[in-house]
Amino acid sequence: MELSWSTFLLEIVNFLVLVWLLKRFFYKPLQAVISRRQKGIESRLAEAGKAQAEARDLKQQYEQRLENWKEEARQARDKLQRDIHAERQKLQKELEDSLQKQREQAEIVQQRQQHELRRQMEQQAMEQGSQFAAKLLQQGAGPELQQRLLDLLLGSLEELTEAQRRPLREQMQETAAVVEIVSAFPLEGPQRQDLEEALRDVLQQDYPYHYIEDPKLLSGLRITVGPWQLGASVRDELHAFVKLAQAAQ
Amino acid sequence: MEHSELSPAVLFSLGPVHVTSTIVTSWGIILGLWLASSLLCRRLRLTPGPVQTAAEGVLGAVEEAIRAVAPDHARLLLPFIGTLWIFLVVANLSGLLPGVHSPTRDLSATAALAILVFLSVHWFGIRSQGLKPYLRHYLTPSPLLLPFHLISEVTRTVALAVRLFGNIMSLEMAALLILLVAGFLAPVPILMLHIIEALVQAYIFGMLALIYIAGGLQSQQQRHTPQGERDE
Repeated sequence: MELSWSTFLLEIVNFLVLVWLLKRFFYKPLQAVISRRQKGIESRLAEAGKAQAEARDLKQQYEQRLENWKEEARQARDKLQRDIHAERQKLQKELEDSLQKQREQAEIVQQRQQHELRRQMEQQAMEQGSQFAAKLLQQGAGPELQQRLLDLLLGSLEELTEAQRRPLREQMQETAAVVEIVSAFPLEGPQRQDLEEALRDVLQQDYPYHYIEDPKLLSGLRITVGPWQLGASVRDELHAFVKLAQAAQ
Repeated sequence: MEHSELSPAVLFSLGPVHVTSTIVTSWGIILGLWLASSLLCRRLRLTPGPVQTAAEGVLGAVEEAIRAVAPDHARLLLPFIGTLWIFLVVANLSGLLPGVHSPTRDLSATAALAILVFLSVHWFGIRSQGLKPYLRHYLTPSPLLLPFHLISEVTRTVALAVRLFGNIMSLEMAALLILLVAGFLAPVPILMLHIIEALVQAYIFGMLALIYIAGGLQSQQQRHTPQGERDE
């Protein structure tokens, strides 16, 4: 084990040469490649950062847009709800009006039905009353009553005005009809004479008189001159009373 | 010229310069590393292949180790420390090849490397701080410590050289003795140990060199750093 100065010096030179060689052919090229790669990575990182920032901006824009859409949707929903509420109220009011109208119509119909029912009942009551009165009067009717009714008839004929008599006359002249006299009981001679005189006075002319008996009149008589009819019987009076009562309703 | 297992053979002489097997092996290593570097760096790509990845891994590991010790001077120290590590690994392992002796089993070679480390400490220190500020650190914290500083410089350099030489030479000697005593294939376990020892010794030598150089670089800096910052 001895120190060789030649080896010592040559080894120093060898090592320094190796340092230079490795620096020239190993470290620098590798460091350059690593540096280039690092620059590339940094560049890509910068691009990625830029892309990320753009993506973030886009995300923010989309989020803002989404928020706007949500707000618009909320406003539209509110408006729709308001419209629906208004429409519901309108329909409800229309329905209420319709129901009210139907109710009123039903009330009117009901009132009419009641009125009609009442009218029918009254009419029925009148007719029954009339039948009852007729039945009652039938028992009390007789020639005396007929005489009194004849007197009333004669009085009525006398009270006819000229304006009322003229159409009668004209009608009789045109039709040349028969004067038909219906009585409940047979008319006596004087009764017939009084009656014919009164009629002659009204018609100003003689016509054939045709006498008929009809017990349905109960009492009194009915004179038919063409289309004109003059009643003075219990039956006609009762009918007239019933019609008058119905007309009064 | 006589030679023994402890001293390498002189292969030829150029005047007063005797070229030993250590030098020739070193040339072979240098040539191999140069060729490998040239071949590797001729095909460098941004997307590295397996070989380039391994090379970049080695470079990165060396740079990281230097940065851990001297963070501000990693690029400056990389060529010297990196070359030291690479050369020592290859040189230590070259003894495994049949008929080849490791250059680091020669005290002259390890002494040369130790001297280079010694000189590098001062070179980088003076280059970084200037001559006077660098020399002033020998007088700190007290001028009385100057002899101890000087003795430390010499002993650590000698220790560097002798440690590497002793370990590698003893490993080769042990393998040779086992081969002589036990026969063929018997020294295989000791050769496995040789691999580990070669890597460990290369690492120790390089790391000590790095620490010495970093110490020279940072000696003046530490002197001016306040106590509080140093504690941090």
